[in-house]
Amino acid sequence: MVGATTARVRRSQATERRTEALHGYAFIAVPMVLFLVLNIGSVFYAMFISLWKWNVRSGPVDFRGLRNYETLLSDPIFHIAIRNSIYYAAVWVPLTMAIGLFLAVIVNQKIRGQTFFRAAFYFPAIASSAAITMLWIFLVAPDGLFNTVRAAIGVNPIFAFFGFDPNQNWIGHQSTALNSIIILNAWTTSGTFMLFYLASLQSISREIYEAAAIDGATAWQTFWKVTFPLLRPGHYFVATVAVIGALQLFDQAYIGGGPDGAPNNALMTPVLYLYNAAFSQFNFGYAAAVGIVLFAVIFTATLVQRRLFGQAPSW
Amino acid sequence: MQRRRWAALGAAASLLLAACGTAASPTPTAGGATPAPGTAAPTAAPTAISGSATLSGWRSSTSEGEALTRTLLGFQAQYPDIKVDYEPLAGDYRTVMITKFSSREVPDLFYVNAEYAQEWIDQGFLAPLDDYIAQAGFDTSQFFPGYASIFKGKDGKTYGFPKDGNTIALAYNTGLVPTPPTTMDGLVTLAESLKGTNDLKAPICLNPGLDRGLAFLYAQGGSLLTDDGKSEAISTDTSKAAVQWYLDLFKNGLGMTASDMGSGWCGEALGKNQVALIFEGGWLDPYMGDQFPDVKYAWTAVPTGSSGSPVTISYTVSYSIGADSKNKDQAFVLLSYLTGPDGMKTWTEGGVALPSRGDVPIPSGKDVLAAGSAYARPGSGFMPGYVDVQKAFQDAFTAQLQGKTFSADAVVAATKAAIEKALSQ
Repeated sequence: MVGATTARVRRSQATERRTEALHGYAFIAVPMVLFLVLNIGSVFYAMFISLWKWNVRSGPVDFRGLRNYETLLSDPIFHIAIRNSIYYAAVWVPLTMAIGLFLAVIVNQKIRGQTFFRAAFYFPAIASSAAITMLWIFLVAPDGLFNTVRAAIGVNPIFAFFGFDPNQNWIGHQSTALNSIIILNAWTTSGTFMLFYLASLQSISREIYEAAAIDGATAWQTFWKVTFPLLRPGHYFVATVAVIGALQLFDQAYIGGGPDGAPNNALMTPVLYLYNAAFSQFNFGYAAAVGIVLFAVIFTATLVQRRLFGQAPSW
Repeated sequence: MQRRRWAALGAAASLLLAACGTAASPTPTAGGATPAPGTAAPTAAPTAISGSATLSGWRSSTSEGEALTRTLLGFQAQYPDIKVDYEPLAGDYRTVMITKFSSREVPDLFYVNAEYAQEWIDQGFLAPLDDYIAQAGFDTSQFFPGYASIFKGKDGKTYGFPKDGNTIALAYNTGLVPTPPTTMDGLVTLAESLKGTNDLKAPICLNPGLDRGLAFLYAQGGSLLTDDGKSEAISTDTSKAAVQWYLDLFKNGLGMTASDMGSGWCGEALGKNQVALIFEGGWLDPYMGDQFPDVKYAWTAVPTGSSGSPVTISYTVSYSIGADSKNKDQAFVLLSYLTGPDGMKTWTEGGVALPSRGDVPIPSGKDVLAAGSAYARPGSGFMPGYVDVQKAFQDAFTAQLQGKTFSADAVVAATKAAIEKALSQ
């Protein structure tokens, strides 16, 4: 008797759980279908295309197997694109994260004009990347504001020591083009990262700071021993978003150096390379192969980062 | 099935893009040209055709739009039974058109830049016109070969006719240059005398690529390809010497890139009095009139080099019919009017470009540039994969300039490899 009741209860619980699950699935069905068709579906379709010589109007022309990938991996320009990407990610990501964190810690203080500073630091992020890149090109042009100002304040000897001309063509010279774009993007994106870090900072409980204060921690110690480690989920999120953004660099490179990644491939990026393969060489199978390689790289990078920062804090 | 779904997606994307552009049908404007009485249709057949055709292209300036509207009004008067929908495309024209090709929803008649004409022919985006030409008896003998040859496929068929053209010539500041040079040696002597004067950043504005460099290469007797077009000729001694000569202009401070002067292009450098001599085409005229009306300049032919004969390069754009066009008959009537003597006369009077055929009068002020049409060699689209060749040359050339090594060897080697790769594909 008792056993039968328990069984009935268990059955009804199971039914309830199933109904609940069904409701859940019903709710996510529409976005899930869109996700599967538009995101996952297109990845698989691109994989399929990447095995062919593909005509955009008439479809497959002839089967190339992995030869698109072989050509790609042996193309010196693609190697340059990858090298540029790695350099860009290695410099830009830590730089921008550091600036973002610095700004977040500052505007998280109870200071006068807090809202103003938050808005001001975020401001470059709301301008369109095309507009702000054009602005930057004018600023760092040979006869632009930057070169004029450094001449006026008499710091040109320092620049000369590092081998820069008084009218250095920052975006137009192969040795400085990519660094110019790094500085531009560090400036425009640090506001966004500040916002992410700010959200993270505010989730740290006040009691921890109070405890640290009672223990006599200095501000410096509090930052490095309390704030920084507790921001780990924030670091993970920001770093992931940053690395993906870095590997997908396109607009600034395209506007700064045109489709050729000029000067001399200094601004060639994998996405620009893909764009050229598709729209200048009309080699769509090959372009799809570039896309798949880029996807694999980003996916791997994200997994590695998850390993590095992703686990919950161990205390 | 799956492909069709993607095609539909492409169509949706192109619709979105098209919606961003302003679709405009030709509407009467003041001064709209009416066709001269007596200009009858070439044969009876085209006037018997009725229906509609869409026409697309990019629109680089207001004056271009106005000139085309006037031309289309002329067409409408002559062929009242064919309705033309003019839909200029906004944004990156090549990219937008590719979404249209993939969805097989193309305009009936559209612009094709010489730069990618060969690729579009190879991809099967364009319809061959030979049957229409034969049927309508369209006279193609008047087109300048430097323009028309680009729109022929490997199969020998014609895939478009040049809607107009432009040649490269030397534009010089008349205040600084009383007598323009006629030879390359004269150009160097003049540049040396101008160097360091009048606050010029350099006497000549030069591009670090083949888009202008090709004219110098040809002028000095060099070439990219052998005469049969089957193998490279950049590694010959003459070609190498020509590349070195071009590099030396930079090395000796006689030439400088627009970018290094902080200008967007050489026209801007001429306008800002940064240089006295530039090599450009007819597009300079509306720009200077608009941006720098006070800077006085004049045109002269590209100076003659060691090749001994007048040389220049030309750029062109065709009108072509889409392979998937549903109104090919109507589109061909429109094409033959626009690239015929009447339509091209009205169009080129707008001052945007030069006639691409010999029986159209030269627009005023374009004598020097138009004279080049007769002997100009194509500046793009004359070989498959030329975009990659240009890139290889420009990358290597830039590396030589910026590394201050100024050696033609590396430039020639990189260009040679790119040409061989392009020819083998």
